[in-house]
Amino acid sequence: MSGFDLTGLTASFGGERVIGPLSLSVKKGEKVALVGRSGAGKSTLISLIHQQVGRASSLVPQDLGLVNALPVFHNVFMGQLDAHSAWYNTLTLIRPFAKDSNAVRGLLKDLSMPEKIWMPTASLSGGQRQRVAIARALFRHSNLLLADEPVSALDGPMAHLVMKTLSGRFDTSVIAMHDVELALKYCTRIVGIQDGQIALDEASERLTPADISPLY
Amino acid sequence: MALNLIRKFAAASGLLFAFSAAVSAQTLVFTAIPDEDETKLVERFRGIADYLSENLEVDVRYIPVKSYAAAVSAFRNNQVQLAWFGGLSGVQARSLVPGSQAIAQGVEDKAFYSHIIAHESTGLNEMDELSDELRGKTFTFGSKGSTSGRLIPEYYIREAFSEAPEDVFSRVGFSGNHTRTLRLVEAGTYDVGAINFSVWDKETKAGNVDQDAVKVIWTTPSYPNYQWSIRGDADERFGEGFTDRVQKALLNMKDKELLNSFPRSGFIPVSNDAYKPIEVVGKQIGIID
Amino acid sequence: MFSSPTVRVSFLFLGIALVALLFADIAITAANPWKDLGRFFLGVVTPDFFSSEGVAVALLRTVAFAFVGVALGSLCGFALSLVYRNPIVRTFCAFIRAIHELFWALIFLQFFGFHPLTGVLAIAIPYSGIFAKVYSEILEEADPVPGRLLPPGTSTISRFLYTRIPDCWVQLRTYTAYRLECGLRSSAILGFVGLPTLGFFLESAFSQGHYSEAGAMLILFYVVIATMPLWVRPRLLPIYVLGAPFFLGEGLPIVWGNVERFFTQDIVPSPIRNGEGFSGLLTWLNDVMVTEALPGIWNTLVLTQIALVATGIIALLAFPLISAHFGGPVRRTGGHIFLVVVRSTPEYILAYILLQLWGPSMLPAVIALALHNGGIIGHLIGRQTSAIRLRPDAPIGFNRYTYELVPRVYRSFLAFLFYRWEIIMRETAILGILGIYTLGFYVDSAIQNIQFDRAMILIVITALLNIGIDVLGRFIRRKLALQTMPTC
Repeated sequence: MSGFDLTGLTASFGGERVIGPLSLSVKKGEKVALVGRSGAGKSTLISLIHQQVGRASSLVPQDLGLVNALPVFHNVFMGQLDAHSAWYNTLTLIRPFAKDSNAVRGLLKDLSMPEKIWMPTASLSGGQRQRVAIARALFRHSNLLLADEPVSALDGPMAHLVMKTLSGRFDTSVIAMHDVELALKYCTRIVGIQDGQIALDEASERLTPADISPLY
Repeated sequence: MALNLIRKFAAASGLLFAFSAAVSAQTLVFTAIPDEDETKLVERFRGIADYLSENLEVDVRYIPVKSYAAAVSAFRNNQVQLAWFGGLSGVQARSLVPGSQAIAQGVEDKAFYSHIIAHESTGLNEMDELSDELRGKTFTFGSKGSTSGRLIPEYYIREAFSEAPEDVFSRVGFSGNHTRTLRLVEAGTYDVGAINFSVWDKETKAGNVDQDAVKVIWTTPSYPNYQWSIRGDADERFGEGFTDRVQKALLNMKDKELLNSFPRSGFIPVSNDAYKPIEVVGKQIGIID
Repeated sequence: MFSSPTVRVSFLFLGIALVALLFADIAITAANPWKDLGRFFLGVVTPDFFSSEGVAVALLRTVAFAFVGVALGSLCGFALSLVYRNPIVRTFCAFIRAIHELFWALIFLQFFGFHPLTGVLAIAIPYSGIFAKVYSEILEEADPVPGRLLPPGTSTISRFLYTRIPDCWVQLRTYTAYRLECGLRSSAILGFVGLPTLGFFLESAFSQGHYSEAGAMLILFYVVIATMPLWVRPRLLPIYVLGAPFFLGEGLPIVWGNVERFFTQDIVPSPIRNGEGFSGLLTWLNDVMVTEALPGIWNTLVLTQIALVATGIIALLAFPLISAHFGGPVRRTGGHIFLVVVRSTPEYILAYILLQLWGPSMLPAVIALALHNGGIIGHLIGRQTSAIRLRPDAPIGFNRYTYELVPRVYRSFLAFLFYRWEIIMRETAILGILGIYTLGFYVDSAIQNIQFDRAMILIVITALLNIGIDVLGRFIRRKLALQTMPTC
């Protein structure tokens, strides 16, 4: 499965509704950008979708969820933990298999940080950490990507590189982002969120940055 | 039945109030080495306290302690004035309190002896002399400060093997008291153990010993053991002739139930000199400096 | 993974423990260990609360000794913490806390005898040393900025009261309350050497096989500890502290001459007492070292290293029991109860029980130390993991344990473990009193033989060994940059 059709999505915090009720249907092959002011409910929507589609997706949460004490390799490898037996995973913790480390190094090369593979994650910069979380999502090899501001800590060229890699590797994706230019360039469909509701839903080729700016 | 219950209650509460009631100068406090199960000791010595208090016309209180050394220290520190000691603890205590005297021992204590007992799984049988069959077995003494449960058996083990017990046996332990030595060997926790004959006989008579599981394999030659010792300053504190009165009361004890609780058939006079052999052995083994 | 220093250190200690196992005396010598254990558990589930009239009074005494001892200890400790920078004070505190409560009790028993002061001081003295250290650590962490902003000329006392105390108050209070719980445990085990607290009755019941009675006492003890938050209220504290001295019992009067005798004669090495001169003293010291101190030190070290690693293993196995990331509320409640029970039972009592059931060897001691200390660390780590927020797509089950949680808490786990290293050694030494050949065995033997000079030498050696391990533990923690707040 890579597309989804969800209806009646709602979320409340402290009795106050922050999302919905709204419906969102994403077809296989679509690359959706969620745009909107911070606090509009983009992150909440991403996690609602994740709850519904579950483990079939690859997730890049905003707070990354890295295990600082583990090296980069293991953090990336964690994307595939459910694909292996507990024995395999435990052995990998002690001594990784060459097959996996080559695969991970390849991914890291795409993200131009192959030399960091055995570094403790705690010693990385913010941008590098973000790329480790992205590598973890890539390593998962699912078709659907759910990402919450995956390039917020990356500089221009690097952000482009990462977005290109993501749109190349994932069939279908839902990415929350505030950078309108990147959204228009790498996504096929723009969904604007305002006050917990969908305020805009249009193919990106039919939009210009000016069309989106009222949402901010 | 009811009487028994009341006595039990009195024994238990006596134990409590030992710590709570004020002890006046005119109270004779005594203790005893904890060589058997505590409830038995408390029952036995509550009876003695009542008996002495009737005969001496002073308050008499029994204080239970947790170790032989605690009994010796309490005697030495004048927190107790009278004590029922073993041979060794008596020698230790009297050497620490100048003027103190052994005043009475049990009829049986004149020629006391210890048994070496073994669990049936060892296949050991009664032997004339401690033999090499014992090597490599596990062994438990009673308390570290016991005469019949440690000092004398250790002396004969060293004599027979010319080695320390730790080198003869694969494991050497201290069970704490004679009742526990019996239980541990009976259960097979230790292969072999040393126990005094009096506890052995009493428990056997009461039917508390599984004769199939444990038996006596050797008995030591006789030696002097338990005695009542009193501090040298007792007369000063309780009045002229007090020591003699205590001695007389002990010697005149005829109550069968009281005597059986030790178990002794009666008490006879004794002096410090009777325990010279114990002192010599204690020095040889290094327990006494 | 081996490139990480924490992992390397862990494997180093694991290796040491495995080597130590080769030298350790590990065995179950009882013929029927499981039957006895079964009878014991049967006793715990069929507790007999009315068999011994002494239990209620014993509990009251246990609580009273804990309150008086801890209150006195915290007062002295606070005073000492103010001058803790002084190296002499520092060394003094390290020394008094390196000697276990039971050793202090055995010392005071020799001259105060069965007077309540024996129990009170046995708790208050080592606790003063611990309080001094921890209070000073807490006070040092207070934010220094407010102090600098005070008008010049503010008196030291006002500066202290206005800027230090308020900042640390919560921590000081939490730690002191925690220590009170430790004090209850210390107080309970003092009964094993004859003071009128719970251990006195527990030992009697246990040694005679009255398991239902022993079970009842243990259950009541757990209830007292588990309900502490309910009955230890800040407003009631003054009442408890002022009232507790009246519930210590009167014991037997102190004869002051004994105190003088103890210090001027008993603990003077016998060759000096007997005028055998310097060469006599050397022979004597040599004898103590070869026949008692060295075997005792060796066994203490072997047992400590095995118990340390076993503690770590138990802690790592136990923390998921209460972690919010595993299982539902029912399982977690079960886990909490299990951990409360193992960490509320003093090592000494656990070891005593297991020794009775399994026969003498190092095994009962290892299990007792590992269960108690592993329970404490497992509780702290479990609580810490519950505060971790995992990403929504985090792995589950065993993978969650190995990849998400253990790596995150491993450093604080090691910090706690090395913090408790010295505590484990202190307990290991004391377990010798129960018949395992660690230093405590030789101390107890010397006391049983009325050779207090030997006992004192051995106690001082034990203290120095503890101080050494404490320094080493701190060195390793600093080297690995591990930080922790003090625990019991």
